[in-house]
Amino acid sequence: MRKYVLKRLAQVMVILFCILTILFVLFRLAPGDPVTRMVDPEMTPEESQHLIEQLGLDKPIWTQYLIYLKNCSTGQFGYSIHYGEPVAKVIWEKLPNTILLFTTAVLLSAMVGISWGKIAAWRKGKATDLVLTIAALVTHTLFLPWLALLLVWIFAYQLDWFPITGMVSDEVWLDPTAGFFTKAADVLYHMVLPLTTLFLIHFGSYLLVMRSSMLDTLKEDYIVLARAKGLKERDIRNKHAAPNAWLPVVTSVGLSLAFSINGGALTETVFSWPGIGRELVFAVSQNDYPLAQACFMLISTVVLMSNVVVDVLYAYLDPRIRY
Amino acid sequence: MQQATIKDLKAKRRALWRQRFMENWRVFMHNPLGRIGISLLIMFGLMAVCSYIPPMIDPMYHPMTGVDPKVVSSVGPSWQHWLGTDFMGRDIFSQLLAGARVAFLVGVSAAFMSVVLGTAVGMTAGYMGRFTDTALMRLADMIMVLPTLLVVLMLAALFGQLSIWMIVLMIALFRWPGVSRIIRAQTLSLKQRPFIDAARVSGASHLRIIFRHIMPNVLPLAFLYMTFRVTSAIVIEAGLAFLGFGDPGTVSWGMMLQWVWKTGHMFQAPYWLLPPGICISLITLSFYMLGRAMDEVLDPRLRDETQAG
Repeated sequence: MRKYVLKRLAQVMVILFCILTILFVLFRLAPGDPVTRMVDPEMTPEESQHLIEQLGLDKPIWTQYLIYLKNCSTGQFGYSIHYGEPVAKVIWEKLPNTILLFTTAVLLSAMVGISWGKIAAWRKGKATDLVLTIAALVTHTLFLPWLALLLVWIFAYQLDWFPITGMVSDEVWLDPTAGFFTKAADVLYHMVLPLTTLFLIHFGSYLLVMRSSMLDTLKEDYIVLARAKGLKERDIRNKHAAPNAWLPVVTSVGLSLAFSINGGALTETVFSWPGIGRELVFAVSQNDYPLAQACFMLISTVVLMSNVVVDVLYAYLDPRIRY
Repeated sequence: MQQATIKDLKAKRRALWRQRFMENWRVFMHNPLGRIGISLLIMFGLMAVCSYIPPMIDPMYHPMTGVDPKVVSSVGPSWQHWLGTDFMGRDIFSQLLAGARVAFLVGVSAAFMSVVLGTAVGMTAGYMGRFTDTALMRLADMIMVLPTLLVVLMLAALFGQLSIWMIVLMIALFRWPGVSRIIRAQTLSLKQRPFIDAARVSGASHLRIIFRHIMPNVLPLAFLYMTFRVTSAIVIEAGLAFLGFGDPGTVSWGMMLQWVWKTGHMFQAPYWLLPPGICISLITLSFYMLGRAMDEVLDPRLRDETQAG
């Protein structure tokens, strides 16, 4: 097991190295002068000279490549042109926000998808099954930014139940008397709409995978055996069938992670949620290359690491698998 | 004499193909998902064809350049403009029609390219095995986990505005791994069949075996995956356009949504906000349903299940 994890981590390292190299090559191939793209024009000559030396832009291309690899591995991605601050500082502030929204959304939709998929398979052909399957199909294919705009329009503008954008309200966070729970409640209140958007888009695919996998499981001999033993229907469903049907869902969580990250970036952008995905979109539109590059690397790292986690989880859930 | 036999065989083969096609068509149309999917797609196809008509009658309806001189801001539906106009007086209905054209263009061409690439890689990896297999599949694994939308966004950061064909090409280049995995698995099982051995013994080259003997057997599967790729390509293009990195020379549904959002009309102009989103969602749904119904045609196991239950 430990050997397997180490092997997977080594693979992640190799992939990240490849991505870094490709980005480096593409950056040199792209039109425009690397110096003007990496260095803020508003800096003083001394400052920009220092930055050019630090990034190695005055040295031959091979040295530049080595310096670039060294900087990336130590987390120094240069200075953001828009913020005028080290990129690492900017994105470290944003990372927890993305993780908070995204992890909650994936876990919530997977849990709901699994339990509803279980019910749909159990009542196959009945009205419950039909309603759940159709709901899953329809919500799963909705266009995410449009759904987000629609939710904002209905729940934030027409009904005025939730804030339109953002993650915190200033009056709560600037108030020195506000305790931790008030602040947490405020974040939660802002999180409802983005979370609903991501949930609606994602639970459908998990539901459909769980339903079909559960239908396969229900044909197994051990289900017949459980019935023959006279176990309660609920126990057969929850203890004998469902745990075995989870496995394909776990795989599909891993495989759809890239797709979910796309959705996460779109959601963050629509709701102005201060996360990495929005920062990447913003950086690209502002021509802030150092920031865009760092965001992209960070997102890739997170996706790759989560895939490792999913694979390890799979082995944990299925005792038959031994690496 | 021999000529006649060959002709006979060919005729028989054609008859067999026709029979199988009719049989599959029957199964396909038996499925409500297939029926709904295909009717929706026909509707979108008509929309795409009709997109050429309005600008021909009056340049005012040109989705990109046509501006109604009497309208200076976004107004609601009227007899003149069925779905209203956008912020500078362009007709929303004709934009919607033009969007169908772009969606088909992007979806079908990107899906076709990625499926061709994925099938070629999958067959090569499965058939050659050993080092080629490992190398190609590692590459596929690497590309598969990358979020395509953000990758294309990154390329836009590097190279500036991407044209619609560049976007199509990029989507194709990053969406093939899923196809190639499945085609590889199929090729691995085909490789063990006696007819491949027979072909090899009779002296067929690797290329001939791959293209004449393996390809016809994996094509139906590749075709099925194409329908799923179409949806993902349309959604990625729409997402990109929504974020403001689409081709400024085309009107896609994602672009229309971006205009609604960026010009701050999303609260005042539901007649403008709703149609493009409904169209993207419906076209995705219809391709998805088409794929599901085709799945059933190709996999009789699924078919029996639905008929029994």
